[in-house]
Amino acid sequence: MLFSTWIRKLSLLFFAGFLCLPACLYAQTTTIKGRVTDADGKPLQGVSVNLKRSNSGAITTGNGLYILSFTKKGGDVLVFSSAEFIDQEIVVGSDAEVNVQLERNAQSLTDVVVVGYGTQRRKDVTGSVVSLDKQRLESMPNSNVLQAMEGAVAGLNINTNGGGAEGNNVSIVIRGQKSINGNRSPLIILDGIPYNGSISDINPSDIGSVDILKDASALAIYGAKSANGVILVTTKKGSGGKPVISYDGYFGSQQYDNLPPILMGDDFYNFKITREPTSITSSELAYYNSKKYTNWLDLATRKGSSSQHTLGIRGGNSSVKYYASLSLLDVKGIAINDKFKRLSSRINLDINITNWLTYGTNTQLSFNDRSGLSPTFSGDYGAYLFNPLTTPYDSAGKLTVYPWPEDTYFENPLAPTLAKSRDNTYKLFTTNYLQVKLPFVPGLSYRLNTGIEYQNRDVKTYFGRNTRRGLLAGGSLTQSDNISKNYTIENILNYDRSFNKHNLGFTGLYSYEEDVITNNGLSAENFPNDVLTFYQASVASLVTPSASLAKETTISQMARLNYNYDSRYLLTLTGRRDGYSGFGESEKFSFFPSIAVGWNISNEKFFESNKIVDDLKLRLSYGSNGNTAVTPYQTLAKLSNLTYVDGQTTAAGYIPTSFANPLLRWETSTTGNIGLDFSIIHRRLSGSLDYYHTNTHDLLLNRSVSSVQGITEITQNIGKTSNQGFELSLSSTNFRTQDFSWSSTANLTINRNKIVDLYGNGLSDTLNQWFIGKPINVRFGYENAGVWQINDDTANTPQGLVRPGYAKVRDVNGDGIITGADRTIIGNIQPKFTWGLSNTFTYKNISLYVFAYGVQGSHEVNTLMSDNNVNSGVRYTTVVKNWWTLTNPTNDYYGNIVGANSKSAGIVQNSSFVRIRDISLSYDFAGRLLEKAGLSKFRVYLQTRNPFTFTKWTGLDPEFTSQTTVPLQKEFLVGLNVSL
Amino acid sequence: MKIYNKIILVFSLSLMGISCSKDRLNEDSAGVLTADLLYTTKAGFENGLNGLYSEVRRYRSGNVLNQINNIMNIQAVIGVDNAYGNYRDPQVDVFNLWKTINQPGFSQYSRVFAWLYETINAANTIVDRSANPAIDWTDAEKNRIVAEARTIRAWCYRHLTYLWGDVPLTLEESRGNNIKTNWTRTPRAEVRKAMEADWLFAEQYLPDVATSDAKLIKGIPQHYLAELYLATGEYDKAKTEALKVINNPSYKLITVRYGVNATKPGTPFTDMFIDGNSKRSQGNTEALWVIQNELLVPGGEGNTIMRRYWVNRYYSIKVGTKSPFLISAENGGRGLGRLGPTRFALNLYATNDDRGSDFAFRHYYLINNPVGIPTGTNPRTGMAYRLGDTIFLDKTGLEKLSNPNWPSPTKWDYSQPAPLDVVDQEYNDQVFLRLGETYLVLAEANFRLNDLQGAADAINILRNRARATPITAGQVTIDFILDERSRELFSEEDRRYALLRTGRWLQRTQLYNKIAGPNIVERDTILPIPQDVIDANLTSPMRQNPGYF
Repeated sequence: MLFSTWIRKLSLLFFAGFLCLPACLYAQTTTIKGRVTDADGKPLQGVSVNLKRSNSGAITTGNGLYILSFTKKGGDVLVFSSAEFIDQEIVVGSDAEVNVQLERNAQSLTDVVVVGYGTQRRKDVTGSVVSLDKQRLESMPNSNVLQAMEGAVAGLNINTNGGGAEGNNVSIVIRGQKSINGNRSPLIILDGIPYNGSISDINPSDIGSVDILKDASALAIYGAKSANGVILVTTKKGSGGKPVISYDGYFGSQQYDNLPPILMGDDFYNFKITREPTSITSSELAYYNSKKYTNWLDLATRKGSSSQHTLGIRGGNSSVKYYASLSLLDVKGIAINDKFKRLSSRINLDINITNWLTYGTNTQLSFNDRSGLSPTFSGDYGAYLFNPLTTPYDSAGKLTVYPWPEDTYFENPLAPTLAKSRDNTYKLFTTNYLQVKLPFVPGLSYRLNTGIEYQNRDVKTYFGRNTRRGLLAGGSLTQSDNISKNYTIENILNYDRSFNKHNLGFTGLYSYEEDVITNNGLSAENFPNDVLTFYQASVASLVTPSASLAKETTISQMARLNYNYDSRYLLTLTGRRDGYSGFGESEKFSFFPSIAVGWNISNEKFFESNKIVDDLKLRLSYGSNGNTAVTPYQTLAKLSNLTYVDGQTTAAGYIPTSFANPLLRWETSTTGNIGLDFSIIHRRLSGSLDYYHTNTHDLLLNRSVSSVQGITEITQNIGKTSNQGFELSLSSTNFRTQDFSWSSTANLTINRNKIVDLYGNGLSDTLNQWFIGKPINVRFGYENAGVWQINDDTANTPQGLVRPGYAKVRDVNGDGIITGADRTIIGNIQPKFTWGLSNTFTYKNISLYVFAYGVQGSHEVNTLMSDNNVNSGVRYTTVVKNWWTLTNPTNDYYGNIVGANSKSAGIVQNSSFVRIRDISLSYDFAGRLLEKAGLSKFRVYLQTRNPFTFTKWTGLDPEFTSQTTVPLQKEFLVGLNVSL
Repeated sequence: MKIYNKIILVFSLSLMGISCSKDRLNEDSAGVLTADLLYTTKAGFENGLNGLYSEVRRYRSGNVLNQINNIMNIQAVIGVDNAYGNYRDPQVDVFNLWKTINQPGFSQYSRVFAWLYETINAANTIVDRSANPAIDWTDAEKNRIVAEARTIRAWCYRHLTYLWGDVPLTLEESRGNNIKTNWTRTPRAEVRKAMEADWLFAEQYLPDVATSDAKLIKGIPQHYLAELYLATGEYDKAKTEALKVINNPSYKLITVRYGVNATKPGTPFTDMFIDGNSKRSQGNTEALWVIQNELLVPGGEGNTIMRRYWVNRYYSIKVGTKSPFLISAENGGRGLGRLGPTRFALNLYATNDDRGSDFAFRHYYLINNPVGIPTGTNPRTGMAYRLGDTIFLDKTGLEKLSNPNWPSPTKWDYSQPAPLDVVDQEYNDQVFLRLGETYLVLAEANFRLNDLQGAADAINILRNRARATPITAGQVTIDFILDERSRELFSEEDRRYALLRTGRWLQRTQLYNKIAGPNIVERDTILPIPQDVIDANLTSPMRQNPGYF
């Protein structure tokens, strides 16, 4: 809090200083010269140096030198541009020499990309590697990096599963779901080290780049855990040169985007008495008669706010480069009491100790505060469907313990807001390396990489007697102390050498990773009073402690050989062998090989004359990747605690509830990929096109088995799935003049997955809802086929005797009777395609950025479209529907009649959508004023997130997995980026 | 160069240090209890038995572990002649409405099925692993432990055979390397042979009385053997087994007042059901099997919901516009009235029968709501209604749905004092099997052996205890025995099983249950095999019971 106040003051000071600057105008001719280099200090030839809004310009020579004369007008700006680099603008000051370092353009084919255990020139990469558009990372209200990636990368499907202040209810799938039940999330590598923590713990403003590995060759270096893709997150590094201090911050407000149409007041009353005339209780009736009703959702939500302040410093000299930051994120979500605060600091250092020894560290400390419970949204006490004829507050203005006096089963949905809650996470994540250039063999180096992650999450919750659960338990305390520790040691041998036109690279790895999670928990109830809350477990009448341990270890060896001839013919060979503790005794190790070739066609002699195509590269790769997809101890026959009591004495009891499977092994995916990278028309349009086919076998499945066995689930290696798809990424400069430019990036993903085999006998598995030849994730059940009408022969239907208004179930096999065999696939949530599109319009200093993404052709059961949810006695409300009645003989929705849909035939809706994710309008102050203020950057922006969604879905949100959760938030914010 | 060498040395050492550690991949499962670890000592086997007792306790709990809705035993206790579902929910509906909603996809069936086989597997694990010669125990200890496990295993098959007929018989611990997708339904007679073997073994090795109320005793397998022989038509054996229990001096009917309420008004019969009286250690000599719960003791939370399901919603009763009754311990605690007696069940009691008295059923309540005192004159007193006035329930009509104004049994009353009287859970110990029922098994055996006098004698022992008028041999019919069972065991027994065993379920339910009677047909005498069990049998279709799809 103190920190954010301080930052606010500081930014005010900046702003005031900027306003007070005297404006002085005079003209004179001046000459400016200097040298342009890349980030490594190599001189750059052919960079154009132009004076903004004039005709003056120059081109750098072979030494990167330029010289430019012009008439100084004040507020003059030099623009340095080159196709492979990001444009840089420098305000002309009093210096006669302006030296510039250009940063490489992320989308350029000659850029350096992070490929795992090193970097490679994009030009020489043989695998499918995509970098996230930097625009998605900067100046966006992302509480975590995944929010930045949603819809922005071809083949990467990020799904927002729910709302909330923390914004972490996000899942990621790269190139479609391969595993049926196993882990579907990609591996995240943070600064070179596997990251197991919460994505919320990484401050997105610290992130310098995000690269996504997609094909087998690129992934193979991460072997066993890579089948679902790898996301390489690299934090910002220090830059050589004078220190740059920057401040980035924003303030925003949030409100909910959409709520489903819930039945309220009169409508609910009428629904209830129509359905079950005698079910209305006297308190409901009294409430109704007093013309009142409670909109629980209204009470449970609010206008939220968010703010983030980041102070960063980067700089260095020839031997030390540093980046340090301090950041505060403070979100008050749209659910009342939903809060998320993160305070994080980072220091990244790279030190050249001698010319053969380099040391570096990337260290983050973070503190997350999730204290405070938000109201109940789903479940029995959920605000969405809570009876609106119940009372939220008593006469004294306090939340009622029993909002429905006749039905004391119900707890007030807002009760959690009364709980005393603490939820703090402290985390250290540090990666450190030592790099040694080895003697005798030129090009040979050794690198020791270590990663240490330590996290402590301390959660305490106390429900007092002012809530139902607290009252019934005499005060209820739960606490857990969760410690996770992870350490990784990597020994890496690198060899990099060029012989004439032969370029050779070799990487060898030996690594060890260990993950330990321990949890100590306690639940206690029946306290003398509610005064000491967290600090009185010793006087509780019932105290139940708990403790758990989960440990996993991985040992890996990897070798990679990169060879290219004249940057024309590229070859990558990779092999990785992994051993994982969670697999059976004889199955711990597995080997994952891959091969990839590339051809830089545009480097060929015959291509030189081509004036249209600038770059053209063909990539082919084939290889296998693994998926651990299991938690530890799955090979063991575990027992469950089922404690009994004898008199007043606890009698510890156990029963077997899991199967042993000593043969558990890796799930393996084999992928072939063909890709084309291109850029044309002076690199105005560039992009990649990829086609892939992945076969996954030995899937790690949690398979439901016959309950006759006494244990109904087993984790096994079963079956085969296939995924194939197209990915297209484009990046173009559509229009460009002196003052105005319009550029776009677009991506399109088409993925088709299906189950190829399960048990080797060609049989589908109805129990597990796995069907051969069908996508992995389908909705299976009885299909709604409209409503039985008054003229139908309702006495003799395949459903037996029905009444007009009952739901019609489709007789799939047409045998004249509805049986289990008529269950069918009613919804396929696999989209036909997904896409993302960003457009940037720049006019002088003003820039408008619009980003949209969409999902097309997916179908899902809308769980809100069910009257069965109201329960017998109409204890819950429901959403508005077009109910069948005698006077409204629709086929949309069956009648409001108990038992009208006894087969629970689901209502399937199209869950396609188009969402305008971000619109951002920014203004960059430039010129003299900036210079006089001593600033190198001063940018203000207005932004809105999630302003519009277009969909036919009638539930809460087509992207959400639960339709009764904290709604999606729309955000409006104003932000500032300052650098000096 | 010297420093180079040193660095290389250090790094290569660190490399070697790690590479020599392949055993680092052995799992550190210090926090995981496996069957291989537990079933190696006598104490471990006792823990396994405790797990079985917990499983048995779930019979009167929610059908999902640790939940308090959808009682596990519902299919055995309503949809019969003497009980129906008063307050509706999707689960209750099936046993009122039957027809199309009594179908294989009904989740209750798959949960009961899975719970029974889970328990069977837990018992099989104990039986199988007891063969390990490395376990340090005496033969007597081993046999007693195996006898307890086998008693419960056969008890599970008892439910399965009554509900579903032929069911897969599995008597071995399930192993991950032997997942079967071709289960077959073993003929019921064969399953009953296995049950007989289990109980005969148990009879041999269980003690007459146990040191703890949790442990099983000899009377349990003997009682169930007697019942099994009734089902198999081996009436002599049934009689023999029943008499073994009845003649065991350790087991005696409760015939005089005792226990925590002995000095307050009551009857010997109802004393057994009062919290504090149910266990053998508390003086209940009639008890053969009692399930235990305990407030504020880990393991004591059984989520038993007999009170929740049987005690009616008296707090919903209105007199005029007033609600005169509040939830209270005196009124039996908070009930949901999901299950209730049929008119027929209430009519079975003569006025002098303790088992139908005000101590056994709520026939009235006392006004206890200060703000709910009815307006007008109390016809019973001729004065204005006052706190403490008695208001009798309306028993004149037939059973109907959502009727709070209807008697309910007191056997399951339990409540914590206010304000905790609204708590869902109950923590009283509950009689699970008692000698009284054995007398009725004996009566049935005698009747089948044409010893009507013997049958009447067995019944009269219970009637005398309840101060009901004794009957003569001439009055004994199979229907009379079933009536007597209802009088004695209302809401305790697995009513459906007794009716099925005597072949009287369909007719009596049609006659006496006005809610379910019109809806049931011959098909419903046996339940559908759960859809998930059918679906899981991938390689060999499992036969469904006739009439179900």
